[in-house]
Amino acid sequence: MYGESACSLVKELDRNRGTLPPYNNELIGEVEKEICHLIQQNVADDFKAHEDSNVGAGLDYTATIRTRHAIIQRNLRCLLAYHYNRLRCLRTMRWEFGSILPPDIKVNLSHAESNWFSKYSSMLATYMRSIGDDGGVNLTIDLNPPKALYIEVKCLVDYGQYELSDGSLVLLKESNRYFLPRAECEDLIRQGVFQHIIN
Amino acid sequence: MDTVENAEDVQSDESEYEEIAHTAAEVLELMEEAWLNEKFAPEILPHKYDIVECLLGQISHVEENLTNVGNDDLRRSLHQMELDRLRYLVSSYLRMRLEKIETYVYFILKQEEERSQKGEENYLNKNELEFAKAYMQSLDQHFTDRLHFWPGNIPTEWKNQLIIPNIHSFVFMKAKNEIEGVMVSHVNEEEEVVDLRTGSQILISYSNVGHFIKTNQSCLI
Repeated sequence: MYGESACSLVKELDRNRGTLPPYNNELIGEVEKEICHLIQQNVADDFKAHEDSNVGAGLDYTATIRTRHAIIQRNLRCLLAYHYNRLRCLRTMRWEFGSILPPDIKVNLSHAESNWFSKYSSMLATYMRSIGDDGGVNLTIDLNPPKALYIEVKCLVDYGQYELSDGSLVLLKESNRYFLPRAECEDLIRQGVFQHIIN
Repeated sequence: MDTVENAEDVQSDESEYEEIAHTAAEVLELMEEAWLNEKFAPEILPHKYDIVECLLGQISHVEENLTNVGNDDLRRSLHQMELDRLRYLVSSYLRMRLEKIETYVYFILKQEEERSQKGEENYLNKNELEFAKAYMQSLDQHFTDRLHFWPGNIPTEWKNQLIIPNIHSFVFMKAKNEIEGVMVSHVNEEEEVVDLRTGSQILISYSNVGHFIKTNQSCLI
């Protein structure tokens, strides 16, 4: 049935809110094929209608053409909605993971989407650099209102040496607990190196 | 209102910077108000970059002073905490604006263009405007690339279906001055006129009071 594959595209989005499933090339191809097919038919019918009207009699094609046009519009809208919402999701991930995506998410992206991601990253970086007078502000830290200066974290992987902003080095080992400045940990927590321990 | 009290700590702590610290408290108050307004208003408000930049200047100023204080000094951690709070305030404000810009990018850019045509003040800062344009262009590019399969001309009607903020959503508002003649529209198309006294609070549709926020006669809470 016409419009079905477009509908399942949107349903797929709805089922996977907040996550990025693999880019559905197959289904998108089907939607595209359907659109092309319908446009071709419309053009053919339009041509026939013209010929008929020249002769003086013939069938009325308006209803068919209009229905097809409605399907095309709907398919187009679903297609764009699918892509737009994936971009929005990708954008949220830029804020969560920083400019380098984890590999398991990267494989789910289409080529155009990876391009967009790096473009978005660079425009965000340009913007953040331009705030204030000296070197800009990193907006991706301080995501939550600060409660305490130091937080307790548990290290989940053998990270090795890590340099704090005051220049001192900390050796991060698996399953050790650390009491560190919040601003230093935020990034590592998001990368999954640390787990924040909340009493 | 922790932050305000703490700002006064700075004041009493470092008497030599009293002059600056006093204005810092005022700047902070302005920033907090701008932050709350931006947080609760459904549409983007005129930018307050002068306050942001002033506060950022204060932050780096205090940071510089802190380097002179010993690491185990109690004052250091108090001020550091305060700095973290300020930094959160500023970045949260800018983040919220970015989010609005991204969501309503087509709508906002259209409005900005109308504004500059009319010679009015732009709502976006220069950098924000650049970001918005780059963002819109990247979206355009992504969509047109995707539609290359289209036989014939690539359709552009989707650009007319803008995502627009719901300015009829309800907000809590507090009047800073005496405001007379606020129109309250009802569902059944009737209109009622209300006068607000200084400090009075009201739950009202944003569309009725948006201009009071922009002209600084009232704030959102």
